[in-house]
Amino acid sequence: MLRNTLLIAKREYLERVRSKVFRITTVLVPVGMGGVALLGGIGGRHLEAGIQHVAVVSNDAPLAQQVKDALSKGEHSPKTIDVYAPATAADVDRVNQQVTDHSIGGYLTIEDKPGSATPDAAWVSGSSTDFIGKAQMGGAVTEGLVREQLLQRGMSDDQVHDLMKHVKLETKQVKNGQVVSSDTARSFAGAYALILVLYGAVLIYGINIARSVVEEKTSRVFEVLLSTASADDLMLGKLLGVGATGLTQMLIWAALVGGFAGSQLAANQGIHGLSSLGITRPELVFFGIFFILGFYLYSAVAAALGSSVSGEQEIQQFSFILISPLIISVVMLPYVLGNPSSTASVILSLLPPFTPIIMYMRICSQMPPYWQILLSIALLTASVWAMIWLAARVYRVGILMYGKRATLPEMIRWLRYS
Amino acid sequence: MEVLVELEHVSKSYEEKAAVRDLSLKIEAGCMFGLLGPNGAGKTSTIRMIVGITLPDSGKVTLFNKPWASASLQRVGYLPEERGLYKKMKIIDQLVFLGELRGLGAAEAARRAKDWCERMQIADAINKRTEELSKGMQQKIQFISTLLHDPELIIMDEPFSGLDPVNTLLLQDTLVELKKQGNAILFSTHRMDQVEKLCDNICLVDHGQVVLEGSMREVKSRYERNRVIIQYEGSDGFLTHPAIADYRSYAGLAEIRLKPHADAQDLLRTAAASSTITKFELVEPSLEEIFIETVGGKTDA
Repeated sequence: MLRNTLLIAKREYLERVRSKVFRITTVLVPVGMGGVALLGGIGGRHLEAGIQHVAVVSNDAPLAQQVKDALSKGEHSPKTIDVYAPATAADVDRVNQQVTDHSIGGYLTIEDKPGSATPDAAWVSGSSTDFIGKAQMGGAVTEGLVREQLLQRGMSDDQVHDLMKHVKLETKQVKNGQVVSSDTARSFAGAYALILVLYGAVLIYGINIARSVVEEKTSRVFEVLLSTASADDLMLGKLLGVGATGLTQMLIWAALVGGFAGSQLAANQGIHGLSSLGITRPELVFFGIFFILGFYLYSAVAAALGSSVSGEQEIQQFSFILISPLIISVVMLPYVLGNPSSTASVILSLLPPFTPIIMYMRICSQMPPYWQILLSIALLTASVWAMIWLAARVYRVGILMYGKRATLPEMIRWLRYS
Repeated sequence: MEVLVELEHVSKSYEEKAAVRDLSLKIEAGCMFGLLGPNGAGKTSTIRMIVGITLPDSGKVTLFNKPWASASLQRVGYLPEERGLYKKMKIIDQLVFLGELRGLGAAEAARRAKDWCERMQIADAINKRTEELSKGMQQKIQFISTLLHDPELIIMDEPFSGLDPVNTLLLQDTLVELKKQGNAILFSTHRMDQVEKLCDNICLVDHGQVVLEGSMREVKSRYERNRVIIQYEGSDGFLTHPAIADYRSYAGLAEIRLKPHADAQDLLRTAAASSTITKFELVEPSLEEIFIETVGGKTDA
């Protein structure tokens, strides 16, 4: 009966929304996330800066100068580049000392050998696994060498400059029959945002549903409830109620993010509204659809699992089972991104546990045919319904036999009871 | 009288264990019905089939003269053996929620909840949470939640367990009053003294089967009045009378169990011949004795 379902949903919703935990997490999570984002921003800027201060030590002064130019023109160029050319033994001692006391990040030695076409070059730094530094320095030395050779062969500075211009490679894709610029990073970002939100919601609220089922089992309230409402009413009501709590909280957070994105504070950081976060309107709609359906599917599974265990401690054990399809989706993402229309991607996106993330990813990278999207939504909806039905059966029978956790054959037998 | 509940040849098994076997019973309006039996006899399983928590494997359950349907449950009040309330919820919210589930409007449910709490002398608990209340108070709250929607059929599984004598009396009086108003009450217990006092009809189950059934009077009449209490002055020579199966002799008082179909009057004549009899009483067996005699020492629990 709809009335019972709504009554149960209302009770679950009000009890949770009125709780202290709800108020605390509603405030603390954005504060925490803000903190993490802030730290991440600072950390990111620091990383981006790379090596700030290096030295070039060489017996070939013009070459050293060219390498310095190449270094300072490249990406993430060091702010200060000292040149010791021609270098003395005392200079080498000095830079070694500077590396030791971390006043410079490292130094390049370039030594012309008479009779050899290329000089010997080495990158000396304080750490052994400095890949970024190595690639950067290697590129700079090669570039500097080419520049010097070109100059020696009579080219003018300007000619060399034009010749050595960096080419920026753009990526494009065919979307709906038109070539548009593609941003793989943005497609990824959209899918990752969904994963993060879904993952968090399932872990917090999905587990919450399982916990509320177990609570009813241990407090034995269910017997009174079952003597008036059907197990289907109870399950659906619980799912709607706890789900609505989760959605309320996430809406509050979304409003905060939206408010932030449109605020002066964000404008100062170059963000103007949602569009600059890289979300288009249709994507936002699909985001909503797949989030809600995915959330309810995982929650219904949690409810079924909750019905089959006897105590709260056991919930922790199955939370991994619960989120494993999400983890598999994450692992499959790079493949799907590279081959959004391959048979494997299509099949994966139609399997309900993977649909939310994989199908959303496909939508973000290369719009799949509409029938596939509709089919995936239909399958997902059907499996949510089937899962609620299953959870209600397990709940109904599982609660009557308590004390031990049900084995799988037992659960299958339960389905025939009721 | 209108029959509110009828079970016909109902059976239910869990895994390999048969909980209820071919059980039939009838409960009429205005009747206090006692479902008795040792632990594990199938009382709770029977009750659960009446309220539809489990369905019988075979047999028929009829509620209010109609085949079992969940809609009928609006007219039933059920108090399970294991009490359960939401721990963190306020009592009034809880009662309103449960009342609404049984079809009451929120305002009406709140009004009735307040009336009942006053009647059960726990009005000051109404704004507390379950976890703040004592076990006995929680039980009274649950008792109220069972009755809030004024059900015609009240089913209570072990309603008095864990209550102090004062509250037991309060609950008993309430049930008797409800019975007088024409409600049918089914309760299970293994406290025979309560059954003897309260019940019009009883059904004794053991190992999932009915072993004894009928009105209290009828059941008792089926058992012989084979107990004799004699108060006497003088010789106790009559204790060797052939009708006596067993006796306990105290100073001037003998408690005697007679052999089956023995002649008590002949014993009286013999005793009167040798001593002065101040009291001679033929006692009917107590329900407890009937229970023990019927179920015997073969209980699992």
